[in-house]
Amino acid sequence: MSKSNDVPLFKGVPEAKIRTRKRRISIVWLVPLVALAIGGWLVYKALSEKGPTVTITFKSADGLEAGKTKIKYKDVELGLVNSIVLSKDLSQVIVTAELVKQAAKFVSENTRFWVVRARVAAGGVSGLGTLFSGAYIGVDPGQPGTPATHFQGLETPPVVTTDLPGSHFVLRASSLGSLNVGAPVYFRRIEVGQVVSYQLDGDGQAVTVKVFIHDPHHQLVRKNTRFWDASGLDVAIGADGIRVDTESFVTLMIGGIAFDTPVNMEPGEPAEENDVFDLYPNRESISEKTYAHKSRWLLHFDSGVRGLKTGAPVELQGIQIGQVLDVSLEFDVDKAAFRIPVLIETEPDRLKSTGEIPQGAEGQKVMDYLVGKGLRAQLKTGSLITGQLLVAIDMHPEAPPANINWEGRYPELPTVPTAMEEITTSLTQMLNKFEKLPIEQIGNDLRDTVTVAKQLINSPDLQKSITALNQTLDQAQKFVAALNKGIAPELKTAVSNLDTALIQAQKLTRSLNSDVAPQLDRTLKELQAAARSIKVWAAYLERNPEALIRGKGKSKRR
Amino acid sequence: MTPVFQTARDYGLISCHSCHLLCQSTKQPADMQCPRCGARMHDRKPNSIARTWALVLAALIFYIPANVLPITTVISLGKAQSDTIMSGVIYFIHTGMWPIALVIFLASVFIPLLKLIILIFLLISVQRKSSWRQQDRTRLYRITEIIGRWSMVDIFVVTILVALVHLGGLATIHAGPGAIFFGAVVVITIFAAMSFDPRLIWDTEEIIHE
Repeated sequence: MSKSNDVPLFKGVPEAKIRTRKRRISIVWLVPLVALAIGGWLVYKALSEKGPTVTITFKSADGLEAGKTKIKYKDVELGLVNSIVLSKDLSQVIVTAELVKQAAKFVSENTRFWVVRARVAAGGVSGLGTLFSGAYIGVDPGQPGTPATHFQGLETPPVVTTDLPGSHFVLRASSLGSLNVGAPVYFRRIEVGQVVSYQLDGDGQAVTVKVFIHDPHHQLVRKNTRFWDASGLDVAIGADGIRVDTESFVTLMIGGIAFDTPVNMEPGEPAEENDVFDLYPNRESISEKTYAHKSRWLLHFDSGVRGLKTGAPVELQGIQIGQVLDVSLEFDVDKAAFRIPVLIETEPDRLKSTGEIPQGAEGQKVMDYLVGKGLRAQLKTGSLITGQLLVAIDMHPEAPPANINWEGRYPELPTVPTAMEEITTSLTQMLNKFEKLPIEQIGNDLRDTVTVAKQLINSPDLQKSITALNQTLDQAQKFVAALNKGIAPELKTAVSNLDTALIQAQKLTRSLNSDVAPQLDRTLKELQAAARSIKVWAAYLERNPEALIRGKGKSKRR
Repeated sequence: MTPVFQTARDYGLISCHSCHLLCQSTKQPADMQCPRCGARMHDRKPNSIARTWALVLAALIFYIPANVLPITTVISLGKAQSDTIMSGVIYFIHTGMWPIALVIFLASVFIPLLKLIILIFLLISVQRKSSWRQQDRTRLYRITEIIGRWSMVDIFVVTILVALVHLGGLATIHAGPGAIFFGAVVVITIFAAMSFDPRLIWDTEEIIHE
């Protein structure tokens, strides 16, 4: 109140300038300064957290969305897809993604990217979570290497990521069979690994299958471990009925591999990463091929070898010791003859010997000796139904002497003809003998004889003779009839006389029977009694021979 | 043409902002006090142009992160999706809800920017002591004051959503850092508009008049 009253109102008097105070910077400028600081900090943070930008090519951008699809490793977000564009030739999709700064350390040429989607396969179901959250890009850092910014995305997720402990092994197979990436690897029916990848060799001759065995099972793989294809069903029909065997239900559908170290072998050195193994077609074949030593022999057969196939068994005394490798046909120009060289492979280790089997030159001597004793190769029928042949090596002491031909690429073992061949040969010989018989001449003679007989039959003399014979027979008949009439009555009387004589004889016999028989019976009885007394006497005499001298007396024994 | 307006300042009078008591101004205008209610008194808002400039600049700076950073993060069935203001607008346009898109665009993008532009225009014109269409410029200022608060709609929506949508694994919404900056932009522009004294637009008249 007092202030306002003090001020007088003077007009025309200039007012002193009041705003002489130096303008200080207002405190309100702190607000934009703070804003600037916050903004600057945000920019710095964004820049410092900015990681490398990478481009990944995929065949399809199915499920990917620019600005939304994330890149995850172990479910930790490592980046975000910025843009998805088509390549110039429209064949691929180029995904540009920005990674976090942390990722810069491990993104190298070995890093792999793939799209994680829900997958339902025979082997299992994966990525179900992506059904709700959408697909994301999975990343496997891989081994450290030179940094890279461009990557080729995998179409299928890798089975094994770098951080999994275990070992990779390489299997070589003649065919892939029903194996697939992700197919299980079994050891004693426990799933211990998976098929990681497979590829055809450059020359197309074999397939390379890569498997991964998890830790600690990878230690079970030894240098001499054998892998086999455990796909499908193993049906065996034996004396104990039908046996159906499979590693697991899964292998029925997607195939699988099993491995084991043969029990009859010492466990070898532990196998190293990326060691190469053969993939055997089945379990049986792994035990068949445990023989390291192999020797090859050449056999020459002159006869046909229809039914002898590559892989046919070579048997010694009925036990398989090898197999047929090759059957071909050869023309010998000098002899102008065909012969069939058969290459066989034997595994001498299958023989168990009491002593050391000599090798090298010694071995040759032993073989020479055996061949001298009659060791021969022979073709035998393995099955009568299929006509399959096999090569049997046996002792044939009766065979003509022969030697091993040690010259040439493979030693040549002498052969003997097939049992069948022998039969054929003897049959041929028999036929030859038949051929030599003068069949034509014999025929001619026979025909002549028949002709003569015919002439004889048709001759008029024979007719006459037959007529004469007829007449003779007629006369004979008449004669017999006359005889019948003349002699018959006399004969009748004679017969009746004889009859009476016989009756009288009968009467005589009957009288004899009734009169003589009783007497005879008595006589016989007496004779019987006499005989018995003689028997008694003889027995007594035997016991008491002195009775002959002393007469029958009281027995001393009594 | 235009009538000569006389202002209170011409007569050395001053009105209290709080109780609207009319007083005589002193020669020391910086330290005046209302004789009735004790509020500080000044014939023009002190340091108005500098303050407004500072706040406008701060709002401009904050306007960038407010639009670049995500304002909400929706986690639905394990799928997290962050949205900035513009991506939300684009989303609503794509889904055919363009009226909502229009509301969000107007309230969240257009209005704050419009306010900032108007304020800058007013500041520059006042500093240049322009007498060009003073009435319209005053109208513009009033518009900024009125519509400024509606920008907060966006922040309200976000806060309500964050509070309501807590469905565990099904859906959860988090407010993003963009929301904070956006809120800052709105509040700072409101203060900027407040600190601007529209009477400055007319002060040029007096100077000419004097």
